[in-house]
Amino acid sequence: MSIHLASYEPIVGKQTIEELYLLAEELKGKRIKMVNSTAAGGGVAEILNRLIPLLNDLGISTQWTVIKGGEDFFEVTKKIHNALHGEQFSFRPKMKEIFLEVSRENLRYIGLEQDVLIIHDPQPIVCIEGRDRTDAKWVWRCHIDISNPNEEVWDFLKGYVEQYDIALFSSPRFSKNLTIPQFLFFPSIDPLSDKNCELESKFIDQVLERLRIPRDKPMITQISRFDRLKDPIGVIKAYRMAKRYIDCRLVLAGGEASDDPEGEVVLDEVRTEADGDPDIHIVPLPPTSSLEINALQRASTVILQKSIREGFGLTVSEAMWKRKPVIGSAVGGIPAQIIPDLTGVLVHSVEGAAYQIRYLLSRPDVAQKIGEYAYEYVKEKFLITQSLRRYLLLFHVLSHPGERIIYFDKDAPPLPMDR
Amino acid sequence: MEVNPFYFYTSSNLVELTGEKANTLSELLALLKRCSGSAIFYHVFQSYRERHFAIEKYHSDFAQWISTSLDEEVLAERLGSLDVRDFTSIRSLRESMIQIVEDHLQTYPQCEGRPGKTPFFFCQSISVVTPTKHIARNLENFHQIIGQIGIRSIHYHLIEARLRLGIHTNDFSYWLRTSLEKEKLAQRIEAVDLYLHNLEEIRRMILQSIQEELGSSCPSI
Repeated sequence: MSIHLASYEPIVGKQTIEELYLLAEELKGKRIKMVNSTAAGGGVAEILNRLIPLLNDLGISTQWTVIKGGEDFFEVTKKIHNALHGEQFSFRPKMKEIFLEVSRENLRYIGLEQDVLIIHDPQPIVCIEGRDRTDAKWVWRCHIDISNPNEEVWDFLKGYVEQYDIALFSSPRFSKNLTIPQFLFFPSIDPLSDKNCELESKFIDQVLERLRIPRDKPMITQISRFDRLKDPIGVIKAYRMAKRYIDCRLVLAGGEASDDPEGEVVLDEVRTEADGDPDIHIVPLPPTSSLEINALQRASTVILQKSIREGFGLTVSEAMWKRKPVIGSAVGGIPAQIIPDLTGVLVHSVEGAAYQIRYLLSRPDVAQKIGEYAYEYVKEKFLITQSLRRYLLLFHVLSHPGERIIYFDKDAPPLPMDR
Repeated sequence: MEVNPFYFYTSSNLVELTGEKANTLSELLALLKRCSGSAIFYHVFQSYRERHFAIEKYHSDFAQWISTSLDEEVLAERLGSLDVRDFTSIRSLRESMIQIVEDHLQTYPQCEGRPGKTPFFFCQSISVVTPTKHIARNLENFHQIIGQIGIRSIHYHLIEARLRLGIHTNDFSYWLRTSLEKEKLAQRIEAVDLYLHNLEEIRRMILQSIQEELGSSCPSI
């Protein structure tokens, strides 16, 4: 499917699209290359798949290279990933050897004749060793929460990170003390994707009917894979506390965990906790269920994201985009999306979540207002057009090192009131 | 009469993470003293633009954090009531904020080292200012463009301009006054309360003022 910037005009408005063209004007002909470790699956590939055609649409020649590696390499990178999330890990010399060897092998075929190279996440980070072979600027885009990393792994990576010109982080909480400039790059959702596009109410009804979820009472939903870090048991407890006061249904839906033995265990724990309650709907979904997830979010009265630990947690923005009031834990990137009591509600406990469910179900006027603000906030900050704007600004910043205000006066008219 | 045209610009900013954060009021004070002017500008004027659709209790990130994270409402109210229209430089704004925080710490020394619920992350920004295709040559023209220009342009000319110009006005009022000799209209736009209205409401208020000035000759947008 070809994606064009013009398709977003009915959503974000003509002015926003015009501004993007204005920002892109001076950048036409720039050569950009994105490098990451997967072409499909995962949030990074999802964003790049949409972003790259849009950059090209603006006249900025953008390529995408996916690094290659065997099972042993990706086992190491998976461990690095988990260690950056704070897991215990001993970075043995053999692992380092595999990581460096495969990275250097990749570097042999990645074309470096670019103006800007954007390296996503730790897997391809060693590409920076090719720095002397090109005049390109180097950017490291970190999508991971590295606020409490395993120190051994972070120290190893930091040596590479600081060779880059700029680092990009998804939240101020994720940034580190570095010798290079760091910028805030929120991830984003695509309003035209299956997960977020408008749906006809008939289709929503059909999905709920297929999933055997009656629409006879308010519905609270958490969309997440069955993982203890998403606290599905806490969600059930909060629902039970709230249900003593106000009748409702709970939907726990998310990616099926067929390749994750722990996921199966968690799913069993959740079923045991639900104890046959007919108003609790546990819905494991295959990864291709974007439209179903979209329908469940749109059918919900309140959305929960009661994670114990979280990356950025874009499911929050997805729900906010559908004008739903979201009750989220104050972890990871969730506080960046929820301005307390304005664009959502932040909670710190099961009891807090239960109280907010009661409150929002009893006060549809407040829930509606929060939903409206949530929509506006996502429109302003977390849509793909904003990611596009940030990349355009980044390219300007790289072209004007040291400048804090970059003026473009193509035909050199004076600033309106400059004197 | 040939008048100087008004060139509409728009501004976007990339947020830079300084890596500095404050957990307590005394840490905030120390950072307020040594952070860049760009950081003050960002937290007082620019981050607000991203939530322009809502009227929050406080526009300034500093006041907001002191209220929600430190629960120091007296201080939040005092910082939050600083009016951008009273300042013509970041330096004077910074000095006022430091003075208010120091006064508070002197009165309530017990809150000096009490940690907030969440840290305050200092950011600053780099702005990219681009000319738009819109140029107004008379009031009718100006009215029409104000009705369709992006919200970032309104923010740039109305709010950011005050500090860029270093005077108690904004680009719109300055042009109306000096090029079109519309003193009353210039004053009405200067008097718009930036704290009680979101940017779309402010756009409508400006349009309303121009319509009244133009009377029956006002073109529809």
